[in-house]
Amino acid sequence: MLYGKKGQGEDMSVIEVKNLTKDYKINKKGKGLGGAVKNLFVREKTVVRAVKDLSFSIEKGEIVAFIGPNGAGKSTTVKMMSGILNPTGGQVLVNGKDVAKKRKEVVMDLGVVFGQRTQLNWDLRLGESFELLKRIYRIPDERYKENLKVMDEILGINEIIDIPVRQLSLGQRMRGDLVAAMLHSPSVLFLDEPTIGLDVEGKYAIRKFIKEINRVKGTTVILTTHDLGDIQELCERLIIINNGELMEDGPLREVTERIAPFKTLVVEFYDGEAPKHAKAELFYHEGNIAKYRFRKADITAAQLIDEIAQKQAIKDVSIEEASIDDIIRIAYQGSDDKI
Amino acid sequence: MNIRKNVTAYFYVYKIRIQKSLAYHYDVYGNILMQCIIMFAAAFFWRALYAGETMVQGVEAEQMYIYTVVSTAMSVFFMNDVEQRVMRSVEKGTIAVEMLKPINLYGIFFFEDLGKLTALFCQNLIPILLIGSLFIAVPKPASGLAFLLFLVSLVMAYLIHWLLAACFSMWAFVTINMSPLLQVKKHLIRLLSGSIIPLWFFPDWLASVLNCLPFVYIYQLPLDIYIGKEEMSNILPRLGIQAIWVVVLFVLFSVLQKNALKKVMIQGG
Repeated sequence: MLYGKKGQGEDMSVIEVKNLTKDYKINKKGKGLGGAVKNLFVREKTVVRAVKDLSFSIEKGEIVAFIGPNGAGKSTTVKMMSGILNPTGGQVLVNGKDVAKKRKEVVMDLGVVFGQRTQLNWDLRLGESFELLKRIYRIPDERYKENLKVMDEILGINEIIDIPVRQLSLGQRMRGDLVAAMLHSPSVLFLDEPTIGLDVEGKYAIRKFIKEINRVKGTTVILTTHDLGDIQELCERLIIINNGELMEDGPLREVTERIAPFKTLVVEFYDGEAPKHAKAELFYHEGNIAKYRFRKADITAAQLIDEIAQKQAIKDVSIEEASIDDIIRIAYQGSDDKI
Repeated sequence: MNIRKNVTAYFYVYKIRIQKSLAYHYDVYGNILMQCIIMFAAAFFWRALYAGETMVQGVEAEQMYIYTVVSTAMSVFFMNDVEQRVMRSVEKGTIAVEMLKPINLYGIFFFEDLGKLTALFCQNLIPILLIGSLFIAVPKPASGLAFLLFLVSLVMAYLIHWLLAACFSMWAFVTINMSPLLQVKKHLIRLLSGSIIPLWFFPDWLASVLNCLPFVYIYQLPLDIYIGKEEMSNILPRLGIQAIWVVVLFVLFSVLQKNALKKVMIQGG
């Protein structure tokens, strides 16, 4: 590799995505019996643009989360970045090489895990799957053993190494898939919904793994997820995609500031009506509890509490930052002044 | 396809597949039973046909019994999993990732099938030959040379059948469920390759059509050589045609494989 550890060659991106576009051709299905018969003879095709002109770059050692609603084009983007799907337009460079053109070369340096589709062979024991991968990628003995040792320390993989893949629980299988993807020490790891369907402990293990390999090996990690915990714990950087377009790109905190610059004030009254306020939206009111949403730019929390207290006696207050839930919801709706 | 570079991976797949196959017993007994039923049915059929005759179409009853036993034993060579494997990967949606591994996916499937064959050789082929020898006829080859040529022909027959299956497996990229197609193909091959009824019992026009297809080079040619139905001078040209079929199917397979990968790359796996 030209550039080894963090610090060197930081000006060069690991992944560069330029004007990436993907169209799918879909057979149009006619309705009813007539349509079905017609379909036998004529096939009308419609073109669906799944990804529209995406451009961004990812630096070495970053952990980047792709989020967006179902069907937003996240998986399509990740597939194109990892070389298993050809773009209709634009290009993806991994370590400076065009993925679509030098696929075989690029793929040697990538690890890919699709959460819902295991790449492990059902018929083999987990350890046998690893042994096969060792031979496929021609991983030297020493490196193989060392990698397995590191994986065992993080994921406790040795406990399950003798179990046939078909008998593994979802969490165990996911751990197996992660190890399988990392055995050949790729510099970039793609994870498509790695924590989907896992229990708390499973999610914890996967997140720990991602953090550890990022720290120890400097692996660049790109993941898609619907899990807010994943984002909170792992990602310095967020890319929000909707309708195949890039909506937001930046550090979690910045994105929050930009699209959800509000806080929520939770007030408990002794009794009676919650007073309305001109600069804050009363969006929840039940019993004695009321919640106000306000923009930091419009009014300070102290002022708001003070003004409400003048109208109605307050028993207790607390202030909540915009949760990641809110951010995502707002981003998905595609409007940032929804307050 | 760089076989030399990947030889350790292929050998590992081969070895593991033998181990796995040896671990499953019930399929094995089931298959022996099924093949033996077909073998006995065919043997009774020939006995009825030869009642009072010593020779039909230049073939003695004894030769026909040997034909039946060897044909049944040969069926073990033609139990590939390549189509199922491709189908499963397409269904699971992992085919694209698997095809991008730095190894030929079909190479893996080929060596898995070889592993399965090795296990079945002991588990199925030997028992079938024993049962056939005890109850139907001892399958002696026409001559030592015939046996050697039979082996050569059998290897090529294996390749033809496997390549046909590999080409056929590409359907999985187009259709959603190809299991029914697989059944049709399996029975067509059994019928058109002379595995149960030799070609010389077919009407002339049908036999000449079938001679232009690769199927007869799966069962009929090796069996003809084994029982000594074919003159020596005729064997070599037919072996040549068989070899040409191997090459033709290999080329077809390579082209289809390239297209399949392209298709996966465009539509997504």
